[in-house]
Amino acid sequence: MARASHPQAMTPHRPGSTRTAPPQVPDTFWSQPRMRTYLLFDATGIPYLVLGLIVLRVAVALGRGPEAWQELMRDFSNPLYLVFHAIALISVIFVGVRFFRLFPKAQPARLGPIKPPPRPVIHAGLYAAWIAVTLALLVVLGGLWP
Amino acid sequence: MKTLLLRLEPVIWLLFGAGILLGTLLLPGYLLAVTLGAPLGLLPDGAMSYERAYTLASHPIGRVLLLALIALPLWKGAHHVRALLADWLGHGPDPVIGSLLYAIAAAGSLAGIYAVLTL
Amino acid sequence: MAPETGEMRKRTFVVTRFDPDKDQVPKTQTYEVACRPDWKVLDALNHIKDEIDPTLSHRWSCRMAVCGSCGMNVNGEPKLTCKTQLADYGEVVEVEPLANFPIVRDLVIEMDGFMEKFKSVKPWVIVAKEKAAEEGPNRQSPEELSAFKQFSMCINCMLCYAACPVVAKEPHFLGPAAIALGHRYNMDSRDEGAAERNEVFRGEGTVFHCSYANECTEVCPKNVDPAAAINQAKLNAVVDWAASFVVKRNG
Repeated sequence: MARASHPQAMTPHRPGSTRTAPPQVPDTFWSQPRMRTYLLFDATGIPYLVLGLIVLRVAVALGRGPEAWQELMRDFSNPLYLVFHAIALISVIFVGVRFFRLFPKAQPARLGPIKPPPRPVIHAGLYAAWIAVTLALLVVLGGLWP
Repeated sequence: MKTLLLRLEPVIWLLFGAGILLGTLLLPGYLLAVTLGAPLGLLPDGAMSYERAYTLASHPIGRVLLLALIALPLWKGAHHVRALLADWLGHGPDPVIGSLLYAIAAAGSLAGIYAVLTL
Repeated sequence: MAPETGEMRKRTFVVTRFDPDKDQVPKTQTYEVACRPDWKVLDALNHIKDEIDPTLSHRWSCRMAVCGSCGMNVNGEPKLTCKTQLADYGEVVEVEPLANFPIVRDLVIEMDGFMEKFKSVKPWVIVAKEKAAEEGPNRQSPEELSAFKQFSMCINCMLCYAACPVVAKEPHFLGPAAIALGHRYNMDSRDEGAAERNEVFRGEGTVFHCSYANECTEVCPKNVDPAAAINQAKLNAVVDWAASFVVKRNG
């Protein structure tokens, strides 16, 4: 029914006059669906971390020359790389959807003289930016222009 | 180390926030084109040839974007892996693990700056 | 949700018991209760105490979800038991003390840890110089009020602490209600104490350990949205931190 929480969770610096039982959480605390989704969200940190290092390799290959680049492109064709990048893409979309939902309400009502736009406007704006940036990158990187 | 990390938390959070916001905006386009489109042969001929890739990347805007694609995912990733380990390992956001992860992100970012400047 | 009409229904309550004088660790005790269709969990607990087992201890007061006393974990979820309809549950109902708090006795938890964090954010209007009475009251526009009003609705029921994965693992973390309340005062146009509170927000209980799980907001019975407050507070704390290098502070 219950399992241990952190032994000092919410424990006062001055203990009370009677012995207390240690803090506990229900067995479902970590396995309930919303918590699972949140833990998955945190777990996307792993593909992001690896991805950053792979893009570093891209930059280094570009600096080294055509042979390094060909080798990189050959490696990118390897099924392991393709699967990883597909997982990374799914992670990015998952992160984007959750983050765009939570971002608008994290803006204070005013920061000095600056007031944020209404929350639905921010929400729509984020998606508009996402689509616009993705299309722009696809056009440029995909060889359509320049 | 715990106090130093506490002092740096605002900066780290800013880098993480930029990582998640800007990184998430930039990554789908890059992933679809360079890591999936090109190896699978879906792009027009020469789109990701060395010459074209180098020309795009060595443009000032290209260098900035390439650096963003290196650094931003690293900071987002480091921060979230730290949170994940905090939940699974049991003692909250650990200063030693956190420092290690942020050191990786910092090292990667510095290496990225060097790589992008010396293109 | 409209309460069920109809017959009495027998339900099984599995309730955590802990007597520090007798028990080494908490255990559970099972009660069979014939429940009226419109009962809340609190009604069943009061029936148990009144008619079945007078040794059961639990906190409650207003029975209308404004005092914040009756928070407990019901079938794993933090709830106000006075607001939780038994009609939404099946035959077996598990009632545990609020998660993440030391247990004093049965369903009663130790609140002092929360009070310490609460007081540490200085939840009162701080001004450098009190206005003289002759100058009249403070004036505040509806727009100024709307910047913080939602966060002032907290009834200190602590359900958010029972839901937060960071509270479960990081004892120093200030926690949702305390941060939301500190933020409420930082956004209050009458207040001048933001710098002091932001120091606390960047201190050992740091707001930056919040990982935006949003669980606090999901369980809050008063739509305070503490997750919004905490993450707004992060941005404010960063701006305040940057400003502290540029602007000289007094004391």
